[in-house]
Amino acid sequence: MEDTIARTGGYSNALTSPDWTTYFQTLPSSDLEIAFRFESDRMVNSLYEPEEVETERTVILSEREGNENDPQFLLAEAVQLAAFSQHPYRNEVLGSTQDLLSLTRDDLYNHYRNYYQPGNALLCLAGSFEIDPTLALIKRYFEPIENHEPVRSIPTPEDEITAAQKVELQGPDEADYIQIAWRSPKASDPDFFAYTLTESILTGPSSLSMFGSGGIGNRSSRFYRELVENQLVASVYGSLTASIDPGTFNLNLTCRGDHTPDEVIRKIDLVVEEFLEHGPTVEEMAIALKQARANFAYSSDNITNQAFWLGYAHSFADYSWFTHYVNRLEQVSLEDVLRVARHYLDPTHRVTGVYRNRESLANG
Amino acid sequence: MANLSPKTAQLPGSDTIFRKELPGNGTFLAYPNPTSPAVYFRGYLPVGSLSDPIGKNGLSNLHAAMLSTGTQKHEFRQLHTLIESCGASISISSGYLSTVFSGQCLKEDLALILGILLEMLSQPTFPQSHFERLQQQLATIFKIQAQDTDEMASQAFDRLYFRGHPYAHPQIGYPQTVSTISLEDLMIFHDTAFGPHGLVVAFAGGMDSERTAALFEQVFSNWSVPHQKTQVDLPSWQPHGEDLREHITIPEKSQSDLIIGTSAPAAMSEDYQVCSLGNSILGQFGMMGRIGESVRERSGLAYYAGSSLEVGLGPSCWKVTAGVNPDNLDKALSKIKEELRRFISEPVTQAELSDVKQQALGHLPLSLESNVGIVRFLLSLQRYNLSLDYLRDLPAILEAVSAEDILACAQKHWGLDRLVITSAGRAL
Repeated sequence: MEDTIARTGGYSNALTSPDWTTYFQTLPSSDLEIAFRFESDRMVNSLYEPEEVETERTVILSEREGNENDPQFLLAEAVQLAAFSQHPYRNEVLGSTQDLLSLTRDDLYNHYRNYYQPGNALLCLAGSFEIDPTLALIKRYFEPIENHEPVRSIPTPEDEITAAQKVELQGPDEADYIQIAWRSPKASDPDFFAYTLTESILTGPSSLSMFGSGGIGNRSSRFYRELVENQLVASVYGSLTASIDPGTFNLNLTCRGDHTPDEVIRKIDLVVEEFLEHGPTVEEMAIALKQARANFAYSSDNITNQAFWLGYAHSFADYSWFTHYVNRLEQVSLEDVLRVARHYLDPTHRVTGVYRNRESLANG
Repeated sequence: MANLSPKTAQLPGSDTIFRKELPGNGTFLAYPNPTSPAVYFRGYLPVGSLSDPIGKNGLSNLHAAMLSTGTQKHEFRQLHTLIESCGASISISSGYLSTVFSGQCLKEDLALILGILLEMLSQPTFPQSHFERLQQQLATIFKIQAQDTDEMASQAFDRLYFRGHPYAHPQIGYPQTVSTISLEDLMIFHDTAFGPHGLVVAFAGGMDSERTAALFEQVFSNWSVPHQKTQVDLPSWQPHGEDLREHITIPEKSQSDLIIGTSAPAAMSEDYQVCSLGNSILGQFGMMGRIGESVRERSGLAYYAGSSLEVGLGPSCWKVTAGVNPDNLDKALSKIKEELRRFISEPVTQAELSDVKQQALGHLPLSLESNVGIVRFLLSLQRYNLSLDYLRDLPAILEAVSAEDILACAQKHWGLDRLVITSAGRAL
């Protein structure tokens, strides 16, 4: 498959999120049929040969080992685990080392046979093609596949982090890192849009471009001004992810060594308190909206990103969520932002994770 | 043999690329993308870390970072509020040979953003407080790098491979050199070596090319540095002639990074396209070519294992890289050497050659799909002094490459008794 796609000059890959798995190809429109042929074949004819499973097991273990080299990965994994008591969002998508070692070929094959059904799939296309002949091609490849309703395990959403939790990790001589997770609403919740503006004002806007053009900086955001500009940390960024069930809004910081994580956390609390007391300014709201408009324009820069959003938005709402994204943000009021921030950014309902390097611990 | 029939007339060429000479030996390039509501631009000034004084490695890098900390018209906070309030971005960084600037904005904000860019490049104020902040941030970055297996293997490789040449030093400098750089050093560098002479800039997006050229000229006509020093020439350099091996021990890491490298042809030289096709077969095509097939697919030793040609102006290298479990380092090295031996012993197959030729041509339209991709291509034309019709000429250049040409190039560059091999991770 890889070679055939590469031969066209295109590229292919797969992504797994907590909510979905996607296979994608970007290739010349004249070769579109290749993608349908492969994906319809993949949906029913994958073999999961034992020998291949064993090779892939060590490849994924290697991917995990590479990630484990990064203390921020370890911290994020620990914080996520603490942020949910039973919902699968608590698990790292890559799997734990223990799981990767113990999964059997039959576990994988049964998962595949259960979920890889045409009725459980969404096909998204963006680019240069004629709709009617393309639909005919899609029918030709996918209609013959018999559909079975998957047996699903529907997780119970966790609307709140029930108490303030602390996660502490230690590691070799390096910087200290902080990650704080607050609950975020599901993407289909109207409050998600007010939360998006809150994120933009506090930490800078998240990019909408999964592929292609980058996003916008965050040097005018409140946390950057108070923490980086005032020389408490080396960097700060936030991430709010659109998800089917309530997820997390994460604040990530790299400490500089001249201020302890505890000092930094106290300052974070002050910034949040100030925001929860007075809310955003009219100017901040206008800036956040303009940034959203620009981000939306950048995200349309390439067809891979367009197709990605078509499918991603459909996973938790429908495509109008994305096409009306800017309009929905424009309808958010100052009061909405304040109400949503007060509800979600509660210091007694969050996870505070700290990775401390042993050198700083030894030095007190 | 591959059927090479790209729609060459649809590719950017001399009739569709807008190019204009600017005063002071500068160049403006643009290619419109009318459906885009945004504009992306990127350019460079021919002054980089090659100009760093002895003992002050990292000066050009720190200078570039300081250009974003305040101007005569706008202090730091005002500056970034102005940029970010229109959803735009501007970044400035330094390489060995040039200082690179880039930006993205909605097309209606382009005049404002270009004006701010000019301020940042020509009227920085170098505030003391931000200088101290950046020094402290760099100290943190050095600490993080020292624990990063990929970064440490890469720095060790450059140190061994480019020894005696400025490319042996990281552009960011070293803790001991960065700490000796003063604010005064940066100001002297800025006043004497930094200026618009030789500026190159490329634009893509929803703007009008001619109007944007006029706008750019008008904005940048306010910047001149009459006695700007010219950057020193790149020193000559010869590849080493011996096997070199270094391992950097970083305890407690669960993965080691491995680099095996040799010389590469100069960018866009006669051999370049031959080696580029060969490299694709060796470590890129499909799931990382022959190296990926051997190390990842058949042996399951690594999540990533492939090869890359790292070419630019000046000395270049051809690398194989892999991230492996520390216990499998020798095994992966042995598998890679096996593939290199095959690569220099027998011609690639006609099927392999056909595959990578088709890929190279098929990828052209996709690589030009985004504003970022277009700008990257325009700057390559200028940097390597290529014809504006380079892409249209490329099919014929690729068609002429034979399996024997690739074998000859492989044998010329991959001497298995003169490899530079570095790794970083747990103790060997």
